[in-house]
Amino acid sequence: MFRFIAADLRRHWLGVAAIMLLIALATALGVAVTLQERALRLGSARAAAAFDLVIGAAGSETQLVLSSVFLQPAPLPLLPGEVLARLRADPRVAWAAPVGFGDFVGGYPIVGTTREAVEGLGRLAEGSGFSHLGDAIVGADVNRDIGETFHPFHGTVETAGDVHEEVEYEVVGRMAPTGTPWDRAILVPIQAVWEVHAHRDHDDAPATPVNASGPVAAQVKAAHEEAGHEDHDHAEGAAHDEHDHHGHLAEEVDDAALMSADNPGVPAIMVKPKSIADAYNLRQEYRRGNTVAVFPGEVLTRLYGTLGDARRILSAVAYGAQGLVAAAILLVVSIHVLQRQRQIGALRALGAPRAVVFGIVWTEAFAILAVGVLIGFGIGYAGVSVLSERLGSESGVNLPVEFQRSDLWTMGGFFAVTAIVTLLPALLAYRQSPARALRS
Amino acid sequence: MLDLAIDGLEVRFRGLSEPALAIPSLRLAAGERVAVTGPSGSGKTTLINILTGLDRTPTGRVVWKNTDLTALSEGARDRWRARNIGLVMQDFHLFAGLSALDNVLLPQRLSRFRLADAVREEALRLLSRVGIVRPRQPVETMSRGQMQRVAVARALVAKPGLLVADEPTASLDAESGGAVADLLLELTREAGSTLIVASHDARMTDRLDRVLRLESGRLV
Ligand SMILES: Nc1ncnc2c1ncn2[C@@H]1O[C@H](COP(=O)(O)OP(=O)(O)OP(=O)(O)O)[C@@H](O)[C@H]1O
Ligand SMILES: [Mg+2]
Repeated sequence: MFRFIAADLRRHWLGVAAIMLLIALATALGVAVTLQERALRLGSARAAAAFDLVIGAAGSETQLVLSSVFLQPAPLPLLPGEVLARLRADPRVAWAAPVGFGDFVGGYPIVGTTREAVEGLGRLAEGSGFSHLGDAIVGADVNRDIGETFHPFHGTVETAGDVHEEVEYEVVGRMAPTGTPWDRAILVPIQAVWEVHAHRDHDDAPATPVNASGPVAAQVKAAHEEAGHEDHDHAEGAAHDEHDHHGHLAEEVDDAALMSADNPGVPAIMVKPKSIADAYNLRQEYRRGNTVAVFPGEVLTRLYGTLGDARRILSAVAYGAQGLVAAAILLVVSIHVLQRQRQIGALRALGAPRAVVFGIVWTEAFAILAVGVLIGFGIGYAGVSVLSERLGSESGVNLPVEFQRSDLWTMGGFFAVTAIVTLLPALLAYRQSPARALRS
Repeated sequence: MLDLAIDGLEVRFRGLSEPALAIPSLRLAAGERVAVTGPSGSGKTTLINILTGLDRTPTGRVVWKNTDLTALSEGARDRWRARNIGLVMQDFHLFAGLSALDNVLLPQRLSRFRLADAVREEALRLLSRVGIVRPRQPVETMSRGQMQRVAVARALVAKPGLLVADEPTASLDAESGGAVADLLLELTREAGSTLIVASHDARMTDRLDRVLRLESGRLV
């Protein structure tokens, strides 16, 4: 029986291949919608996992998450400096680290933060943490080696500004991969960012472009007059020991300076609460007045709730396409069976039992469609992998393309539908009279 | 061996006012070699379909030895046919993509779980007997004469008690037709089977023991 089926498939290989391809593409469409949506959802959820609680100035919660977790540049309103100081002193807070943007280099955003953020996001793969203001830690995907130095450019990756010639950072460490956009970020001490923008305002204030970091610079200018100079003088003696830093960034990082309420503002603060209860308390407390506190996971869930409708539409389109392809192919197979009724009659006339004829037609049709479905899952997976790879390297978000248990059910469902649908041509063959064999 | 008794047989098709076949009574003895002749449309194929259980009719009885075909279900007739009948058809019905040997064995493979070695040996013996020297040759590459000889080997491989052929030589040239006719006669004689051949071909019909002539569905 299988020899006969194999010979028949070989003889009609072109048509068989065409049908398989159609089925495969229709299946791939549906698989791709599911896998891609899942990759986006899981990828962004995993990217947000390290961020328990994010606090920003009152404004769009979604934008706050996009800017802090996904490092999307946007003009965020600033939190007053005292919020950071208050959070760092709060007993419910394990650590609180600012997220300050403003500069970039070579397409990588420079993020001002503190050493806690490095540990909170992952760990150092090599090198050491910040000790001087001019130290930088690069994300896993940043194309800079330890020991390299660079001048930051003002502005964001999209709105290229001019170079801070007088400022030079040195790469001292590299993060282990986190699968988040932070893999493409360069982390520097937030104090350095404040310094850079304060000095920039001193030196060439008229040329400062109005953009996202404008307010930072303005605030730094004010703050620098009082607190900044003190730090400067205080750290002077300890500088120039092991690193050969230039300019204003030779000082050691002094975390105590973060406790000053007079520090410049920051756009966002990531907070690691000590317990879940603390997390909810803090969120409650900082959702009042001119601050907003969000669980990024929650914001993403809400976002996906909205996008879910789009996915449902896409799925419906994919199912529609699958249904049409299935119907068209069923028609082709049935016509094929009817055209071959003499051959089928001959099999019966030669002594093949009806059940065997039924089995041959069913097995043949099912094999073609089932292989098409399997190939479709493969094509869908491969397509989404390529797309996610590309999207991932652009955004830095690691998009995991993975099958889940529920996909087995989907595949099982496809096979079940295929098995049922192919009963039709098999029944057509079953019902055919063997007497046809002798008539032309 | 099988002997045949037909009583009160009548076959009608929708759209025809007269029955396509009407045989009040017919007896054949086991081992008899019978030709069925008659002009085109006289009912030869209709008769063969009834005799082999491929078709059935509500009126009349067709009894082979102890088996009344008209009383059997379709599945039972399939099984009876697989056990008792070898069939040779005008247009061969060989299956492209399979070798001559696989074609000879196909009906056995489809109706049995396991192919006995003896059946394979018999197939090879019959193929060489009908003059096929390359049993592994794909059938679609064979000449029409060779194809019909493969079909003859296929019809005989299960040693059926009854060999039925419908126009076995009609689509062949005179020479290969003659060879097939010879083979049918020789091989059924060797096996001792009953032979029924529907044919216009005088070379075939003249050499059989008995000739049944049909005209408009009636024996004359
Ligand atoms: N399924 C059918 N429906 C209607 N009429 C049929 C059907 N099958 C056969 N007939 C008619 O029955 C008659 C006998 O046909 P049959 O095929 O038995 O003739 P035949 O003797 O085999 O002819 P030929 O020598 O051309 O093969 C013809 O008139 C044919 O048209
Ligand atoms: Mg005929």
